[in-house]
Amino acid sequence: MMDRYTKLQLVGIYAALAVFLTFILLPFFEMFMASLRPLEHLFRSPYQFWSDDFSLQAYKDMWVTVPLLGRYIFNSIFIATSVTVITMVFVVPAAYAYARLEFPFKNISLGIFLGVNMFTGAVLLIPLYRVLRTMGLLNTYWAMIVPGVAFLIPTGIWLLRSYLEKIPRELEEAAFVDGASRMYTLRRVVLPLAVPGLIVVSVAVFIGAYAQQFLFAITFNQTRELQPLPAGLFEFIGYQSVTWNEMMAAALVGVLPVMLIFLFLQKYLVAGLTAGAVKE
Amino acid sequence: MATLNLNAINKSFGSAKVLHDISLAIEDKEFVVFVGPSGCGKSTLLRIIAGLEESTSGSIQIGDEDVSNAAPVDRGISMVFQSYALYPHLSVYENIAFPLRVQKMPKEELEERVQRAAGILQLTEKLDLKPGQLSGGQRQRVAIGRSIVRNPKVFLFDEPLSNLDAALRGDMRVELSQLHSQLDATMVYVTHDQVEAMTMADRIVVLNGGKVEQFGSPMELYHHPATKFVAGFIGQPNMNFVPATVLETTGALTVELDGGHKMSLPVDTAGVRKGDTVEVGIRPEHVTLGDDGLDITVNVLERLGGISITYGTIGNGTRFCASLSGDAPIQQGKNMRLTVAPEDCHVFQSNGNVLRRKSAPALVA
Repeated sequence: MMDRYTKLQLVGIYAALAVFLTFILLPFFEMFMASLRPLEHLFRSPYQFWSDDFSLQAYKDMWVTVPLLGRYIFNSIFIATSVTVITMVFVVPAAYAYARLEFPFKNISLGIFLGVNMFTGAVLLIPLYRVLRTMGLLNTYWAMIVPGVAFLIPTGIWLLRSYLEKIPRELEEAAFVDGASRMYTLRRVVLPLAVPGLIVVSVAVFIGAYAQQFLFAITFNQTRELQPLPAGLFEFIGYQSVTWNEMMAAALVGVLPVMLIFLFLQKYLVAGLTAGAVKE
Repeated sequence: MATLNLNAINKSFGSAKVLHDISLAIEDKEFVVFVGPSGCGKSTLLRIIAGLEESTSGSIQIGDEDVSNAAPVDRGISMVFQSYALYPHLSVYENIAFPLRVQKMPKEELEERVQRAAGILQLTEKLDLKPGQLSGGQRQRVAIGRSIVRNPKVFLFDEPLSNLDAALRGDMRVELSQLHSQLDATMVYVTHDQVEAMTMADRIVVLNGGKVEQFGSPMELYHHPATKFVAGFIGQPNMNFVPATVLETTGALTVELDGGHKMSLPVDTAGVRKGDTVEVGIRPEHVTLGDDGLDITVNVLERLGGISITYGTIGNGTRFCASLSGDAPIQQGKNMRLTVAPEDCHVFQSNGNVLRRKSAPALVA
């Protein structure tokens, strides 16, 4: 059997897993611990791992300290979802074209897309600011959606293209011989087969959109009501003190809906990454 | 139904020329098989007929119509692919109905046509299943079902049986032959398997290096191969080729075979001179144990029950295969002497062309 390990190997594998997971999860754990403690106990020395003053008070107070918190959470998800939907609208036909059609400058343009990915948004903030100002988009949702879409399209095309290339060409040829147009074939044959791939790409784009919105929000948007959560969290930083416990609570609550979606989609993610989906 | 005419089809991929001036006239309701080794251009030729590939030059006619520039669907063809190309997310019913859905056919007619196709192919019970739940042979039938619902003029098959195991392949071969007589359609079938070609075809096109070596009925190819390539390709086990020197060309052709045996062969001797080197083609099934003939050392002996196949060498190491009776008194490692009738021999010139046989069996229709 391929997956038989000796005891020693198992110990090694689990030890490595433990180190890795600790490294990744410890910040989240500490966030959670901080959110449970009263503010004045946070800076206590020596550090106490376990104390008996745990309470959920911060989860109640945060809505009072930052009255727009609910709005920020909504904005975050709304912006990320909009970015995902709009990006997919562009990515699906583009990726299909790159996977199946021959056209001039195909490889060069793909390379350029990859090159664009190398720049972080930060480098382009000032030119982007000027563009958005000229178009009158500053301080609107669009100010955070448009740059998000622009930066995620290349990633999306690269991911989806490689997935679409795995769908056997003969399926499309068969449809073509039977008289189906490109669009009909795309709709009836290719996209249904690409569903796992579409989910993988959507999720990747969503994560990207969620992560990058902070930068665009603090640069291109001054309207409080439109801020997403990462920018909104700034409001926990007061003139006198920072309510760290509430900030941590708000951050956790804000990420919660996304986490739930991920748990639900996990099986698709795994299936999408492993299965070639089509039996030859 | 319709005839299919190919006129001087050429095809190049970049600088590589894969098809050279292919011209074929395929009759109405004929079952024609393109056969040849991999890379001979047979699949490319089929894809050109289908309209999936454009020929560099030449024209295609189906019936009276020139379809060289028509879209596949307007050519009146349908194609069965090597991998079946079934849509895995659609049921068997929807797979078969796909071409009709594309045409936006009214519901009742679509239902009737799908049911009829399913009936012919014994798939009526399976219509609700997905292709993934079917066996290889059933999938093959679904692919054929999808090709017959549209009532095309010409059916194209691209190595449809190569993904099946040997036993199933035999069954499907019979089914396809039955289907052909049932549908009375023109069929073009591509395979690399000469057994499929021999068993199913009305006529066979042997392709080699992008050229037609010979186009004829199976028995014509067997008895009158035009070239050494065809002779070696058709027939199982393959024909033996024994180098020989021409001794005499008047009347019959007298040659001395590798190993010293002399034979007088009833073939056309035009263009052959004394002292020329030729190759004598002898089919394994045309030799018998005898007192006069070729001396062979048996290296390998395969007893298959009904027949025994021996592999050995004659003369200066020319390999020779013989098909003898099931319990022929021979032993591995021992010598044996084989007799062959002169009229069963084929003679090939050094350029591969055959010398016409004067006393070959009459062709059965």
